[in-house]
Amino acid sequence: MSERVRESLYHALLWLVSLIFFAPVFWIALSSFKTAPQILAVPPLLFFRPTLANYARLLAEPAFQHHFFNSVALSVLAVLVAVAVSFLAAFAFSRFRPAATNFLMFLLLSIRMLPGSAAILPVYLMYVAFGWKDSFVGMTLFYAMFSIPFSVWILKGFIDGVSPRFDETGLVNGASWFSIITRLTLPQVFPGVVAALIFNFIFVWNEFLFNYIIGGINTSNIPVMLATGLSNGGGIDWTFLSSLTTVYILPPILMVYFFQRYLLVGMTFGTVRGEV
Amino acid sequence: MAGSAEAAASTSSRRTLARGPRRGLLAFLGRREVLPTVLIAPVLIFFIIWNTIPTLWLLGLSFYRFSLTSGRPPIYSGFYNFTSILNDSSTWFDLSRTFIFVVLAVGIETIAGVLLGLLFWGSERLPGRRVALTLLFAPMVVTPVAAGTFWRLIYDPTFGVLNWFIRSLGLPAVRFLSDANVAFGAVLAVDVWMWTPFMVLMMLAALASVPKAELEAAEIDRLTWFQRFRLVILYHGKFILMLGILLRTIDAFKTMDLIFDMTFGGPGTATQLIAISLFRSAFESFNMGSSSALAVVLLLISIAFTATFLYVLYLRERRTADA
Repeated sequence: MSERVRESLYHALLWLVSLIFFAPVFWIALSSFKTAPQILAVPPLLFFRPTLANYARLLAEPAFQHHFFNSVALSVLAVLVAVAVSFLAAFAFSRFRPAATNFLMFLLLSIRMLPGSAAILPVYLMYVAFGWKDSFVGMTLFYAMFSIPFSVWILKGFIDGVSPRFDETGLVNGASWFSIITRLTLPQVFPGVVAALIFNFIFVWNEFLFNYIIGGINTSNIPVMLATGLSNGGGIDWTFLSSLTTVYILPPILMVYFFQRYLLVGMTFGTVRGEV
Repeated sequence: MAGSAEAAASTSSRRTLARGPRRGLLAFLGRREVLPTVLIAPVLIFFIIWNTIPTLWLLGLSFYRFSLTSGRPPIYSGFYNFTSILNDSSTWFDLSRTFIFVVLAVGIETIAGVLLGLLFWGSERLPGRRVALTLLFAPMVVTPVAAGTFWRLIYDPTFGVLNWFIRSLGLPAVRFLSDANVAFGAVLAVDVWMWTPFMVLMMLAALASVPKAELEAAEIDRLTWFQRFRLVILYHGKFILMLGILLRTIDAFKTMDLIFDMTFGGPGTATQLIAISLFRSAFESFNMGSSSALAVVLLLISIAFTATFLYVLYLRERRTADA
């Protein structure tokens, strides 16, 4: 009996820790159901009559629809392009080990290790010179480029785990390289593809700085909207901001729930495999 | 109807999988000498257009005096930009502030992550484990700009929930983000909140790599908790933990979005990390020459970080291969 009590206490403690980490997120979600005076109430309200008015206002707001569409379109398109292109390169790096493999893998990774403002500065100069600033295609392709390093790293790790004997068997049986890549290798590294898609999506979804600098009115996403001007006649429009934030952070959190087994691989560029 | 289409599709797919020798462009591209180049080409094109060219541009520009607002063409100035940013005390203040931020953030996150990882080690039978872990890991996937926004709400001096706690203890309200003495700590706390879960994740991965048999042997040998941790867990888990610490160090060095939204480097320069100061000089003052020089310096620092990361990674791979 005391063993069971101890275990329940232990489980209660684990839940408490999880809830503490989630509390700030919970607080903004809670605030999004409050009216403006309720958000600004002192002492802060934990129990109140929830209202959906903020969400009704948010969804009807044209600026929200525009930015939200940009967020979705940029993340989905950039990630699809990046993963497709990276898969081919990862296959080549893994199977043929061309001369400069290690050096190229190093260069690819170093792009992602650079502080954002240093990474975007030269691209900004180039985009201004070529007139690509605020172009949807330019923005998508840049995000795709930035998602490539991560995808190549993650996919190469997975392809390394597939025995080259599959290729040999395929070749002996007369399969083309195209079928070997798409029909023998791809199905076996499907988890890697999913992990690359999910974690690049989260990255582009959350990205703010690049969009702010090389984007513009046509391409800006919700993070740019969050960071720039949401004040409402002097004060910050908290009702709008809280519902916007809540809507926007929900998809990544749901992805952590549904793809939890890929979390480790996704957060470490595929360098550490396993599940938690 | 549908059945026959399916059958046709399956025969055609069988045919493509077992196709005889072919001629023409596809056959050429499929040759072993050509294929790798073909496969890597798209990534290389992306890489050249969006990375190599801009980086060369950056390198070139770092040797010129050039401001976007002056309207004058760039003037060659040799190493002037580099000497001037390296002689500018504010660069060193920002760099050392960043260094302190990184050391404190990564240090606290690692210690907390190791402890919480040990706590969550035996959580297999936790009811609702998946939901609990989602809640725990949520901070690291939350949009940083959004996190900045809601922490501003929590930190608010008048209606923020944190100050309500402080006041109910009878203490005066704290202006977390506008008091120069507190702002750095307040921003650091948000970073710790956001990234401790990452170190918990890495610690769990490290613990999973420890062989069960050795833990049992350690238990039979009556090793103390600390000895078990040092001799068994750290021995097997140190590489994964090290990779986690390095990734976190690199990421903390890049911290930008969070600060952009909370304090934008202020008040004064209390939270101005190097990424923010580069942003200011490039996109507020449009001083492109000296900003490029600073970006080149940061590029070199990042390359050093990346090399260290890969060194540890290959060290681990070599040892796993030996074992």
